Amino acid sequence: MASVHESLYFNPMLTNGVVHANVFGVRDWVTPHKMALLVLLSELGRAGPQLGLLERRRLNRLLLPLLQGPDMALSRLRKAIEECCPHLAGSVHIRLKLMAEGELKDMEQFFDDLSDSFSGTEPEVHKTSVVGLFLRHMILAYNKLSFSQVYKLYTALQQYFQKDEKKDGADENEMELTNPEELDGKMEKEELDGPLREEEIACSGPLSQKQAEYFLSQQASLLKNDETKALAPASLQKELNNLLKFNPDFAEAHYLSYLNSLRVQDVFSSTHSLLHYFDRLILTGAESKSNGDEGYGRSLRYAALNLAALHCRFGHYQQAELALQEAIRIAQESNDHVCLQHCLSWLYILEQKIFDSCVLLEHSVNKSLHFGLPYLASLGIQSLVQQRAFAGKAANKLMDALKDSDLLHWKHSLSELIDISIAQKTAIWRLYGRSTMALQQAQTLLSMNSLEAVNVGVQQNNTESFAVVLCHLAELHAEQGYFAAASEILKHLKERFPPNSQHAQLWMLFDQKIQFERAMNDGRYHVADSLVAGITALNSIEGVYRKAIVLKAQNQMSEAHKLLQKLLIHCQKIKNTEMVIRVLLCMAELYWRSSCHTIALPVLLQALALAREYSLQYLASETVLNLAFSQLILGIPEQALNILHMAIEPVLAHGAVLDKGCAMFLVAKCQVASAASYTPQKKIEALESAILNLNEAKTYFAKVDCKEQLRDVLYFQARLFHTLGRTQERNKCAMLFRQLHQELPAHGVPLINAFK
Amino acid sequence: VIGGAGAMAAAAMVAAGGGDFSDLREIKKQLLSVAERSRERGLQHSGKWAAELAFALEPLPLSELPPPPVLTEEDARDLDAYTLAKSYFDLKEYDRAAYFLQGCKSQKAYFLYMYSRYLSGEKKKDDETVDSLGPLEKGQVKNEALRELRVELSKKHKAQELDGFGLYLYGVVLRKLDLVKEAIDVFVEAAHVLPLHWGAWLELCNLITDKEMLKFLSLPDTWMKEFFLAHIYTELQLIEEALQKYQSLIDAGFSKSTYIISQIAVAYHNIRDIDKALSIFNELRKQDPYRIENMDTFSNLLYVRSMKPELSYLAHNLCEIDKYRVETCCVIGNYYSLRSQHEKAALYFQRALKLNPRYLGAWTLMGHEYMEMKNTSAAIQAYRHAIEVNKRDYRAWYGLGQTYEILKMPFYCLYYYRRAHQLRPNDSRMLVALGECYEKLNQLVEAKKCYWRAYAVGDVEKMALVKLAKLHEQLNESEQAAQCYIKYIQDIYSCGEVVEHLEVSTAFRYLAQYYFKCKLWDEASACAQKCCAFNDTREEGKALLRQILQLRNQGETSSTDVAAPFFLPASLSANNTPTRRVSPLNLSSVTP
Repeated sequence: MASVHESLYFNPMLTNGVVHANVFGVRDWVTPHKMALLVLLSELGRAGPQLGLLERRRLNRLLLPLLQGPDMALSRLRKAIEECCPHLAGSVHIRLKLMAEGELKDMEQFFDDLSDSFSGTEPEVHKTSVVGLFLRHMILAYNKLSFSQVYKLYTALQQYFQKDEKKDGADENEMELTNPEELDGKMEKEELDGPLREEEIACSGPLSQKQAEYFLSQQASLLKNDETKALAPASLQKELNNLLKFNPDFAEAHYLSYLNSLRVQDVFSSTHSLLHYFDRLILTGAESKSNGDEGYGRSLRYAALNLAALHCRFGHYQQAELALQEAIRIAQESNDHVCLQHCLSWLYILEQKIFDSCVLLEHSVNKSLHFGLPYLASLGIQSLVQQRAFAGKAANKLMDALKDSDLLHWKHSLSELIDISIAQKTAIWRLYGRSTMALQQAQTLLSMNSLEAVNVGVQQNNTESFAVVLCHLAELHAEQGYFAAASEILKHLKERFPPNSQHAQLWMLFDQKIQFERAMNDGRYHVADSLVAGITALNSIEGVYRKAIVLKAQNQMSEAHKLLQKLLIHCQKIKNTEMVIRVLLCMAELYWRSSCHTIALPVLLQALALAREYSLQYLASETVLNLAFSQLILGIPEQALNILHMAIEPVLAHGAVLDKGCAMFLVAKCQVASAASYTPQKKIEALESAILNLNEAKTYFAKVDCKEQLRDVLYFQARLFHTLGRTQERNKCAMLFRQLHQELPAHGVPLINAFK
Repeated sequence: VIGGAGAMAAAAMVAAGGGDFSDLREIKKQLLSVAERSRERGLQHSGKWAAELAFALEPLPLSELPPPPVLTEEDARDLDAYTLAKSYFDLKEYDRAAYFLQGCKSQKAYFLYMYSRYLSGEKKKDDETVDSLGPLEKGQVKNEALRELRVELSKKHKAQELDGFGLYLYGVVLRKLDLVKEAIDVFVEAAHVLPLHWGAWLELCNLITDKEMLKFLSLPDTWMKEFFLAHIYTELQLIEEALQKYQSLIDAGFSKSTYIISQIAVAYHNIRDIDKALSIFNELRKQDPYRIENMDTFSNLLYVRSMKPELSYLAHNLCEIDKYRVETCCVIGNYYSLRSQHEKAALYFQRALKLNPRYLGAWTLMGHEYMEMKNTSAAIQAYRHAIEVNKRDYRAWYGLGQTYEILKMPFYCLYYYRRAHQLRPNDSRMLVALGECYEKLNQLVEAKKCYWRAYAVGDVEKMALVKLAKLHEQLNESEQAAQCYIKYIQDIYSCGEVVEHLEVSTAFRYLAQYYFKCKLWDEASACAQKCCAFNDTREEGKALLRQILQLRNQGETSSTDVAAPFFLPASLSANNTPTRRVSPLNLSSVTP
């Protein structure tokens, strides 16, 4: 329909948008801030010989950031100069004052004089130096201004100067009472401006091109490295909208808005922003003819690829695959191998959700190396190592591969990948059950200085690797019974990765797992049960497993068994070997709790074989403990002792405190059982060594506060003392036992039959 | 009714009230007086609208003509200043006009004072955009006068010293400051105080974005409301309701109004009833041969029908009347486009945009031209601009989709087609486009849904059924494929235009073979005979006929000849006709 308002028609030469499209290419504009810099430069040239060497050096160091940085207020600029050379600051201020409070011709004269610095036999400024280029840019930009623009610039300069003056004035006159009349007028005005004001505060004045660019790059890097320091999603979006309102051609702002929407998991607006960004990018790509048609086609490919990434992130795998296919097809048509490699990596990530695809990955790594894409290659190696580790490939080869990729990182100083690699190593060592190694790697990452000098103030970045490492650290501490330390780490995690941030799910899971373990140790099964729901939400497999454990602890054997059966089948299907072994162990425990040791044995052997095959050493030793216990019950304690010797070492070296205690307890039991057939002399020796072992077990149990186990140990110890006829010690143990027994509810399972 | 004090304006409201059209003379009187009052205040468009409408009514005898406005004491005091300022205003010297009107107290002079200041600010803003000091400053050029105007007007508003025109100006200022909610309230108030002022109604139309908002407005119950409702229904694409309203207005006695005629034509254009729209436009041209408004819509219709000579005549005619009008440029652009001179067409659309950068249609049309020139990046730019001006421009979304489809990115363009579909849920073109994309992506289930839906909402191009049939064919669902072809042929024959449709032969060929397989010899041979009528299927048809003859001769004894009806419409199509109302379609779990 026809536009409503008459004003739309009165000016037939109205121009907007169309004319300005070509203006956009010009980057340099004379602004008041830049004029202040020009004044500084000319003063510098004039005062040249009188300046001391130190002052001169300080000023030179100041100049570069000033020339490249965004515009700033005059007061800030003056302060910066004052720090270097107070004398010069004063003269700059006077020159500016003269210009701003004088007439237009003062400014014109100033620009006319500027070019003098190039002339003469020995010019003050070389034409090709940084300062020279800046001067020439400015002179050129000034000369291009039209009549009215020159006047506008001059008024802008006046405002720039007056704002500063006013600020100074306000500081001085703060205490002075304003006359009531003025106050009244002000009040009224403010009242009327209510709703408008709010909007304006958000605007906080126009941003220059450079400022906008700086703002965008800063926020983007913060989003990547340290989300908490970036603006909150809502306010960032407000700023971006503002920026876009002023300049809809600013494509990068759309991309940042896409990233911002990802933060809040908003599919709709993130898709919208992403596509808008690429639509805009295609324009600028076509405008800058540097790459010609190539540049334009390129953005198309990456547009499709990014769309795939977006869908993948939101879990729309089918859609992601379609988008990826499209990206691959276009990339193939235009022979863009680099893009194809990116596609390949994404393809791997997508396929991973469906089935294993090592072949793809190997291919990707080879090709990426060939095309000189170290980042992709190394990411590929990392994923490959991860997958191979799950698939049970030889550990030494994996570590070798990681070492190779580390070489690549250091060579290309890919600091982000170095972090990832260390986090990966931590995880792999934990998978293999070497807690000390894992601990060492985690500490390495945490105490390492980042290569990136982006945030000078902060040494570490808030990336995923840090979250992973910290989580592992928390769990490792909890395993050793240092719960205070663990909760301290978790507290730190909560601060660094607030609950709505991207990596928060990691610590949430670990937090709940640790709480679960503690609840189980204390025998507060209802608490553990309530935690299961939370764990399931974050990791369904883990959740089901924990549910089974709770059921087992509550003596609901058949339900637990049913659940475990299902879980076993599922895990075998998705090839989650670690979980398979854990489930098998759990099932074996169910069997021996129901006194079916003969059935438990083959299950345990199966678990053992798997654990050995995948070199999951910690699980292997736990299986051996279970096995030994079964043998003990089946009446072959000598055999049990034999295999225990094999397992006890790794358990003591790397195991959790609870497991250490259980292991020692079990050793003691076996010793006693096998002592039955010994000669009296030997028997006494054996029993005494068993008592020592029990003492050790006691200390371990005390560390993690496992009262039930403590009670059992005490009972056992009392019996042993009794056999040895050491009444005093026996009575002491018995007393302690009695105390604990009164505290705790009666045991469901006969004492001797429990190993855990 | 006499302009002047607020009390008199209130009297005007009472007089205009009623909402019925029984007293056309009274209405005419009101229109004439409001046209005069608008002109006095420099509101030319509202004045024009009222005058146009008044012209459509019977002339009044001398005795009944509205008396010249009575001047109040205040008016008399300001008369000299007003007269001087008005002439400056007419010459577009707004600052000068405002200067001489300072301190005037009468309503008329005060309004002109404020309005000059507003227009001066607007003019400066537009001039400023050329001279800005940098790219980022470009969007920040503001009408500096707006804030002051708002402060002053809101003071007056609080003191209830604003008349209908003043309220209207206050609303405009608020809208320009993006204070939409406040603006709506003020416009509603303006419509209550002075219902005859069309400008306020029109501004309201622009601010109301959906039917829900309309429901919650308390509007004055006058005959002007009918015009407003008709207009806003057209805006909100509620064409049926709009047409009803306009018809009742015509019945009430406005049959000669060119405004109403043009609005009806636009409404028909919006629902793509091309023939009706064309005939109405031709009628309009006869009544008002020098009219330029809405001619761009007319040219779009001519373009769609490829009526070259008519379009050429229109273009030349308009060019003679005024070549520096947005509509003229648009018509010429269409003309060149029809002649496949796309560079020139794009040039004219650009010119239209220079004349009025807020003229939305030109961006989209320019995008189409760039598409024709295979300049996809420029096309994308143009479409994006169109969307920026109006997010609800479905043609721009559709155009973007097409661009990406041409770039062979079927998945990527899905998003754009979906957007277009959301805006026009009952437009078959978007659905067919969506279906094609899904087909390319090998998502046949989704594609089937789209085609079926496209058919159900009334397919314009009649291609949805063929495509659906082919899909069924691909999926070996021969039964459904045959049904689709049958429906397709029925559709085509019922329309009466067989000539253009290439796919008819395909349909007959498939049906012939289908019946042949089902051993329905009569139907098969009927279809095969139809096949013979087309060049590309003639041989196949003949071969099939021969085969049928052979098989028939063999099985003569066994088969009992039941004369089955042609096409089997009773058994196949009767129980399967799609209902017009289909459940909302769920294309995919994720439709951003």
